[in-house]
Amino acid sequence: MRAVLSPAPPEGSRMISRRDVIRNLVISLGGSSLLSACGGRVTLQALAPDAGARFYGERELAVLSRVSDLLLPRTETPGALDVHVPALLDGLMAEWANAETRAQHRASLAALDEALGIRAGGDFLAAPDPVAERALAAVDADAFGGEPVEGYRDLKALVTQAYFATEGGAVDEQGWVAVPGRWDPCADR
Amino acid sequence: MADFDAIVVGSGMSGGWSAKELAERGLKVLVLERGPEIVPDRDYTDTIPPWERPNLDRVPEEEIERHYPKQYGGVAYAIKETTKHFWVKDDEHPYEEAEGTRYDWLRGYHTGGRSIMWSRQAYRLGPQDFEANEREGVGVDWPVRYEDIAPWYDHVERFAGIAGSAEGLAQLPDGVFQPAFALTCAEEEFKARVEAAFPGRNVIPARVAHITAATEEQRALGRSNCRVRDRCEHGCVFRAYFSSLNATLPAARRTGNLTLVHNAIVQSIDYDPGTARVTGVRVIDAVSKRTRTYTTRVLFLNASTIASAMILLQSASEAFPNGLANRSDQVGRNLMDHVSGAGASGLIAGFENRTVFGRRPGGIYIPRYANITEHDKPYLRGFGFQGGGTPVGAGGGVAGIGRAFKEAHRAPAPWRVSIGAFGEQLPHPDNRVTLHPSRRDSWGNPIAVFDVTYGDNERIMLAEARKDAIAMLEAAGCTDIRSAEVDLTPPGNRIHEMGSARMGRDPATSVLNGWCQAHDVANLFVTDGSFMASSACQNPSLTYMAFSARAANHAADLMAEGGL
Repeated sequence: MRAVLSPAPPEGSRMISRRDVIRNLVISLGGSSLLSACGGRVTLQALAPDAGARFYGERELAVLSRVSDLLLPRTETPGALDVHVPALLDGLMAEWANAETRAQHRASLAALDEALGIRAGGDFLAAPDPVAERALAAVDADAFGGEPVEGYRDLKALVTQAYFATEGGAVDEQGWVAVPGRWDPCADR
Repeated sequence: MADFDAIVVGSGMSGGWSAKELAERGLKVLVLERGPEIVPDRDYTDTIPPWERPNLDRVPEEEIERHYPKQYGGVAYAIKETTKHFWVKDDEHPYEEAEGTRYDWLRGYHTGGRSIMWSRQAYRLGPQDFEANEREGVGVDWPVRYEDIAPWYDHVERFAGIAGSAEGLAQLPDGVFQPAFALTCAEEEFKARVEAAFPGRNVIPARVAHITAATEEQRALGRSNCRVRDRCEHGCVFRAYFSSLNATLPAARRTGNLTLVHNAIVQSIDYDPGTARVTGVRVIDAVSKRTRTYTTRVLFLNASTIASAMILLQSASEAFPNGLANRSDQVGRNLMDHVSGAGASGLIAGFENRTVFGRRPGGIYIPRYANITEHDKPYLRGFGFQGGGTPVGAGGGVAGIGRAFKEAHRAPAPWRVSIGAFGEQLPHPDNRVTLHPSRRDSWGNPIAVFDVTYGDNERIMLAEARKDAIAMLEAAGCTDIRSAEVDLTPPGNRIHEMGSARMGRDPATSVLNGWCQAHDVANLFVTDGSFMASSACQNPSLTYMAFSARAANHAADLMAEGGL
């Protein structure tokens, strides 16, 4: 029953913030994806705020990062990698999850990696962007239609929740307002 | 000479009122709070933005398993990393349930108690609620009627600040209101169609204890209008919603008559059989474990329904072998809560280009119509529905990837109307809390043993409520109507526990008279949920406030007249 959306703040009311600086910086480096798949290794150094993952192995982090980027890409607003969703989930698994949850999450990621590889016709991480995107779209369609990959919908929901809990996701993309100050029960979209 | 004119045990929803009214009458008041102090500037977490709450504000799973298994099982939505300090650790505060039963005892021990975390729904009981026991031969007759309490509802509503709309419904009397949070367009449509299809039913804005047009009195206490943020369970820097900490304790404090001691657990009450009066309370410090006694002229028990009953049971003496003021053997019995677990939701079309702005504290309320405007029901009493009609978030639960998926979270979304029942529970003497015969907590006090089950009336009523919910959604033209099978919430789960020291006309079958005054101990008052002779279906906190204010002023009158 909770209201999802508050409209974006009025033009001119936002101050330039750290997130704007980062976005501008990365855009100036070029490329539509913040990952470069070079010989199977994915470069993530510029994206994680902390050095080194505490839960994910290197491949797990790479798969999660590419999936996050495809699910919630940078558009006119930050994408999942701009707001460090993989790092957030790494912290979540390291600090919040119990052993059973960690095992389930690992298994989901492994199943997804395998399913994406099948649809990409090879290593998902090595696939060109359009191929990788089609592979994920196919897995996603199956999850909401035919044969779901184990744990995919929960993983997708978690990535999405983490994204919209960040300032970039909440404020820039969704227009979340910290102090609405009023209730409008029937506003224009 | 007693240490204090009045001692109030508990600083929560009702204790704050007892303290305020007694202090404003010029009495020197000691409030004993068993938990630690909550300092708003330090402990309220409502201004922390979502991205500054690590790990999605989730409490580590192992910590939940170790410390909050019961609390989390009951109120998972409220137990976050930034709010867990408002809830007890179950391993530090254990209790037992009779075999084959379940009781959710959900609470927090700190300044203000659950008035910090409550859902702020605020409804008056109606005339029918005070008459029902006598009319139906259930429990004992209330010794008061609505007319006795109405002026006190006015009194507490005016001070607390209740946002609501005047509806002219006999079963849910109007109050002293500030502007209501208006219905959404979908809710207006739902209201129109339901009221047309079911002329005896009404869909109204929820009545909530939030300031929307602050009075001078409220501003003087540092309170201001609700900013519509939905951060209430974290405290509120604007003090916009009613809690003891936001409102009644500051009012008591500014009289200069209040002493508030924290970490003070009342173990028992001292009683002098020669004068037939309470003389004081024995307290153990929660931290140091040192004990001491405070003496008083009059005692108000506001420790909450369970705890007040336990304190009375822990205060047995030669004069009262069953527990203080318990000649009737009703202390701890007739434990009631509200029951939920029946509801439905459905999509409502036509509002795809509309949305809401702000995150309001309440939605809609459908006041009880069963056995009010609609009769020949297969159950006694009735239920209200709480709910709302708002745009549905995608929440990651929709198909698609990439830009389209990302922007689906801000694109036009369907509206869903959702309603869930809160039903009345009939009193039964075997539904009770007792003291464990041997198991003690860390402070040497007996732990609670619960034995509460629902009866046929609750089960039949909720099954009918579910059917009614579906019928209303169908009448409103909703599609994709979803309604899970009825699954009654466990006793205690609604956190409206009451009835453990009920009031009545006959000292043989009740603990308190109509003033919340113990029949057998003239200077003992119990004004938390314990006094309730029936549960009604309305959220009860407003009623506890009104009875507390009334009882406190009566006690002050008696003291002024020399009667106590």
